Amino acid sequence: MRKRAFLELSDGTKLEGYAIGAPVKSSGELVFTTAMVGYSESLSDPSYFGQVLVFAYPLIGNYGIPTPPDSKKIHDLTPQFESKKIYLSGIVISQECKEAFHWTSEMNLDKWLTIHGVPGISGIDTRHLITKIRDSNGLFAKIHPEEATKSLIIEGLITDLGEKFFDPNIHNLAAYASEGERLLLGKGSTRIAVYDFGVKWNILRQIIEQDCEVELLPWDTEPESVDCNGWLLSNGPGNPSHIDGIQTKVKKLIYKQEKPILGICLGHQIISLACGAQVVKMPYGHRSHNQPVTEIGTRKGYITSQNHSYVVTRESLPSDWEVWFENVNDKSIEGIRHKEKPFKSVQFHPESAAGPRDSSWILKDFVKEVKKHASI
Amino acid sequence: MLPSNLHNVKKILLLGSGGLSIGQAGEFDYSGTQALKAFLEEGIEVILINPNIATVQTDPLPGTKIYLYPITTHWVTKIIAKEKPDAIVGGFGGQTALNCLIELNDSGVLEKYGVKNLGTKVETLKTTEDRKLFAEKMHELGIPTPKSFACHTLDEAKIAAKEIGFPVMIRCAYALGGLGSGFANNEKELTEIVRSGLANTPQVLVEKYLLGWKEIEYEVMRDSVGNAITICNMENFDPLGVHTGDSIVVTPSQSLTDHEYQLLRNTSLKMIDALEIIGECNAQFALCKETSSYYVIEVNARLSRSSALASKASGYPIAYIAAKVVLGYDLLELKNPVTGITSAFYEPALDYITIKMPRWDLEKFSQVDRKLGSTMKSVGEVMAIGRNFPEAIQKAYRMVCEDPLGLSKSFKENYEETESSYLPHDDRLSVLYQAMREKKEPKDLNLATGVDKWFLTELQSIMTAEKEIAALGQESFSELTIIKEKLENLPKETWQRWKSTGFSDEQIAHVLLKSSGIHHDEKVFSLQIRKIRTKKGVVPHIKKIDTTAGEYPSHSNYLYFSYATQFHDTLCDVKENSGVIVLGGGAYRIGASVEFDWCSVNACKRIKESGLRSIMINCNPETVSTDYNTSDRLYFEELNLERILDIAEYEKTKKIIVSMGGQLPNKLSRSLYENGFEILGHSYETIDSSENRKKFSDTLDKLGIEQPKWTAVRSKEELTQFIKKIGFPVLIRPSYVLSGAAMKVAYNQESLDRFLENASKISPDDPIVVSQFITDAREIELDGLAYKGEIVLSIASEHVENAGIHSGDATTVVPAQKLYVETVRQVKNDAKLIAQELKLHGPFNIQFLAKNNLVKVIECNARAARSFPFISKVVGTNFAKHATDIMLGKKPDIHFKAEDELNHVGVKAAMFSFSRLKGADPVTGVEMSSTGEVGCLAKNFDEAFLLSMESSRLPLPKKGVLLSAGSYKEKIKILEFLPVFLKLGLPIYATQGTSNFLTEFDIPNTCLAWPGESGYDVIKAIQDGRVDLVINIPKNQKSQELTRGYEIRKTSVEHSASLLTNAEKTMAYLKALHRHEEFYQNHEPTPLAEYLER
Repeated sequence: MRKRAFLELSDGTKLEGYAIGAPVKSSGELVFTTAMVGYSESLSDPSYFGQVLVFAYPLIGNYGIPTPPDSKKIHDLTPQFESKKIYLSGIVISQECKEAFHWTSEMNLDKWLTIHGVPGISGIDTRHLITKIRDSNGLFAKIHPEEATKSLIIEGLITDLGEKFFDPNIHNLAAYASEGERLLLGKGSTRIAVYDFGVKWNILRQIIEQDCEVELLPWDTEPESVDCNGWLLSNGPGNPSHIDGIQTKVKKLIYKQEKPILGICLGHQIISLACGAQVVKMPYGHRSHNQPVTEIGTRKGYITSQNHSYVVTRESLPSDWEVWFENVNDKSIEGIRHKEKPFKSVQFHPESAAGPRDSSWILKDFVKEVKKHASI
Repeated sequence: MLPSNLHNVKKILLLGSGGLSIGQAGEFDYSGTQALKAFLEEGIEVILINPNIATVQTDPLPGTKIYLYPITTHWVTKIIAKEKPDAIVGGFGGQTALNCLIELNDSGVLEKYGVKNLGTKVETLKTTEDRKLFAEKMHELGIPTPKSFACHTLDEAKIAAKEIGFPVMIRCAYALGGLGSGFANNEKELTEIVRSGLANTPQVLVEKYLLGWKEIEYEVMRDSVGNAITICNMENFDPLGVHTGDSIVVTPSQSLTDHEYQLLRNTSLKMIDALEIIGECNAQFALCKETSSYYVIEVNARLSRSSALASKASGYPIAYIAAKVVLGYDLLELKNPVTGITSAFYEPALDYITIKMPRWDLEKFSQVDRKLGSTMKSVGEVMAIGRNFPEAIQKAYRMVCEDPLGLSKSFKENYEETESSYLPHDDRLSVLYQAMREKKEPKDLNLATGVDKWFLTELQSIMTAEKEIAALGQESFSELTIIKEKLENLPKETWQRWKSTGFSDEQIAHVLLKSSGIHHDEKVFSLQIRKIRTKKGVVPHIKKIDTTAGEYPSHSNYLYFSYATQFHDTLCDVKENSGVIVLGGGAYRIGASVEFDWCSVNACKRIKESGLRSIMINCNPETVSTDYNTSDRLYFEELNLERILDIAEYEKTKKIIVSMGGQLPNKLSRSLYENGFEILGHSYETIDSSENRKKFSDTLDKLGIEQPKWTAVRSKEELTQFIKKIGFPVLIRPSYVLSGAAMKVAYNQESLDRFLENASKISPDDPIVVSQFITDAREIELDGLAYKGEIVLSIASEHVENAGIHSGDATTVVPAQKLYVETVRQVKNDAKLIAQELKLHGPFNIQFLAKNNLVKVIECNARAARSFPFISKVVGTNFAKHATDIMLGKKPDIHFKAEDELNHVGVKAAMFSFSRLKGADPVTGVEMSSTGEVGCLAKNFDEAFLLSMESSRLPLPKKGVLLSAGSYKEKIKILEFLPVFLKLGLPIYATQGTSNFLTEFDIPNTCLAWPGESGYDVIKAIQDGRVDLVINIPKNQKSQELTRGYEIRKTSVEHSASLLTNAEKTMAYLKALHRHEEFYQNHEPTPLAEYLER
């Protein structure tokens, strides 16, 4: 007999399915992705911290999980992973694949979840769940495996779940998703400082590949203490306005220096807030590999990988900044840039992983610009 | 948004793909029809050239001009000169249209008339078609292609093969469906393939053979600005080596990581950007299972079968959007019409799995090689949708074999494995399933077949569930009540697992009854199973296909059912009985293809126009009926009772049309009737009394209408006695039930004995049907509509060939050319009596024989017939539309031109695909073997006949003619027409007997030796290309396998020489050829509407 699990939603919905992964109770904001591949990248993406992810694609785990990263090392950049652990509070899928045969596969999804102490539930009509999320104004979920005796504990955030739903958006999640120490990665005469709010490894890989040195900065690093040629504000989980003191720091980058800056996803939202724009929560966010964006002033479009709940409002954008990209479907802002200075940010993930690589030129152009600046 | 760079186009020329053939089938009616719609919406006048009269696209719509002409440079040039279009598009009519476009460009026609080629540049088309140029282009981009050499001679090929090392793959350039390609393990095989390849194309490619690699495809769209998307990708169940048209294809890919998915996606985008494709294109890759390294195999710079599949699999209207893009729109300014809110610049997200399964019909051909390889052989396909692999593949298998027992039927008592069982062939899936029944493990089967272990493991889970069902049966002490009790007590979870593993109720019934040893009606039991599980709440749920995986709300009406879900997607509420279900035709096969789709589409249209909701059920991705905007609700689903009941319950309607989709839906009429459906049109009794041979025969006797003598024999003695009474030849059908399947004509005792030995056992349980075979008779068909027993519309057509050629293979003419007025009178009179007696109420087709003014009825189909679109377009009255009116209860008031009022003649000719069916005897007979048809109109028979021959790929001979005409009678028949070859200046070659005959009648000829005899032989002459028309009329129309005639026919097909095997058709052709020159030069092409107005 397969082990049961229950999924409870903040709107009162209760669904029954099968337990996968660790037998622990867990809770988080319910979000979905319509991506058809890339579950190992998604699950290890720190931006999902505190969320319960619903997969639209009904078959998950088909190609297994490769040898996971060494958990003792901070960033070993193992392929097919975006960090060394699973940041999600849980996953909801229709059917998991128990046996995978891909040459890179080392274990199945269930085992990997178990190793990281993360629960999941399968046998759920995920399409139905997605239409629920779509039509709601935000939902929270609890996964309750029948055999669970304890809850997923996140030190300082969740000690015991009890009856409550965990809402990650009221916390400073960067403090949990960011690695605590400054670190140098890669080799090169150009150094790019990366504010780590839960950075995805593919951002680091793509910078390092271009013969740059990366200095990783914990989320609360004072910019004055850093010697670099350019700044990258990383992706990360949660609400950008809850990251204590970050705006003061980023304002210094915007107003007190001229080295190129690139913001990605949460980094983009932080830059937007720092320049005076407003950021609001979207009803259900963008989480897929097929988000179309267009570069303003051109007829060019890019299919992008996205994972965000918050968005910059158009009318709040100050006059010295302009919209760089917008979403082709809902016209929401997908990127902004300073009209004169080399400051840019994008809501989508030019580093992809998982997802399409159409916009990878943004990271390349950024590195070029940094190098150019460095040589002046 | 900046304004788009729209081309200034007022009149556009759209090239169709011609008659359906293997490798180029119904998918191009889908793409052409969508393009037509997209152009008309823009207010552009569309000139369509397509002789495929059975298509939806050749329906005359306002704003279109339809030319039913061969898609050849000659005719297209004439039409361009006449119509002066601003632009031409060739990407929607398959390889035929593309090749024609290239020729028009190269010969300067486009430039001369100022016709702009919209879409991908000709230069690019050439790069993608020429494999060497393509490889060079790819290498410039740093994209790997398999090591290959372009060869123009056999010697070059041999050197190349040595360099690469055997086994090698040989591919032909400019060939549709991989025609003439193959693998060679040694020099002998290489020689064979290369020789036949070079006969068809100037260049072959000898390549590295990537044994066991995965085959992956991407469908890509790019606009003129350079924006590009991949619509979806596909993974072949069969590893590289089986043509993708013959592979089971899964969408989206199942075993690819994000890295692999994006790597190939990126490469696709990079390629099409460098090639500057505008519109749609398909990219094929080989992916290594052990390293994730890849090669590009090919790029098709046009809409293809794969793009039709991708369109249906993803819900994204590829052809429609491609047509807009070709006009100059960029993807960003176009909306996806399926959602209405998302942009066309969007990659569909799928939250289901689709499986395409080919249908081959190879059993229809004697001697055919059933192995699958790089030359496509399938004639049709189905697509199944599910939320998991077992559910989808079980659906697909049931759809393709048209049997609700699906995989569970493959159970064979004495299963014997042979060495070739695991090689790719048309029944490999059931072999794999059977092997699992014998406890073969996925890893062993993976070694034997190269099929990915993921797929095999999924397949095994079906077997596991089947064994669980069987175990329940075995524990039932052979008591039905115990089984039922057990089923009632079964946990819901188990039920759910069985059903979501894809088992139909009938399958469960079958497995239970078989394993328990109980004799009981499976159908009856399956309905009881339905009750038991429904009571437990085990029911399928409706899911939408919306391209967004539910991310955005959409009004999509593209639906499927799944058991691996718990909730219905919300749909708008419906009123009781406000919908009418139309059953489509399923997979295209020999005997039923695009014609029935035309009927179904017209029925849906008419239902909508009548203010009712049209509910389409079909499972064929190559159709227009499964387009998102053909019906109000589209169920891409199985055509069987279980699923139709589900749909009817959900749609709250019992109104159903079974007579528009051909034989498959018609066969369902009984079980639908028994389950309380309201069959619109003919009552079930009427359908039954026309389908049931005995009942129909009795009716004819009662009405005093003649019919060929027949009987159902239950023993050899009965057979001998019957033949003693009526004499040879006789027509034998091995089954009482299945009409038309494996029919044979026995001309004498010897051929009868051979048939009985090979094909059929006779027993009281399995009677075979024997009937008198009447030779030298004319065959007439009457297509019509009846209202409450009264014929309200009917048109007679005549076969050019004498009776004995299946009506699907025969050349048909309207109005009849050679019939006595008295014959026609008798035909119409008999039909009137039959209609009254059977109370026909709807579309029908009656087939007659006539010999010396004596008319006999062969059969009556109380349903729309294959000939409906042809007849409708020739007389200008839409039979399907009026038929639908009758079925909806309206008495139609039809004014139509009778046959004798027409100022033109229509000729329908069959399209054959023998060139793909290696080994098959390319001869026509009582069994249908054609894969498609064309129909052309002209002011007289000869001209219409010439056009339809050219359209069916029987071009004017230019080199020489080989005559090898069977009996003296046949020789005499064609004699008077032979001087046309002298007029055309063509040398005549002949085999010994025929040569003597010709010399006797003073017709100069060169006698050639038979193969094996000394001297230059006929086979060599064909191989050397001295002959491009072969007239080989077998004695008695029987297929003489392994005879010398077979060698001649086979070689003709392999070397692309035109082949005529029927005396009457040959006579008609030779007679018409006399007029050829004058007609070819002076005829001014005339659009369909103009004929009808006259």
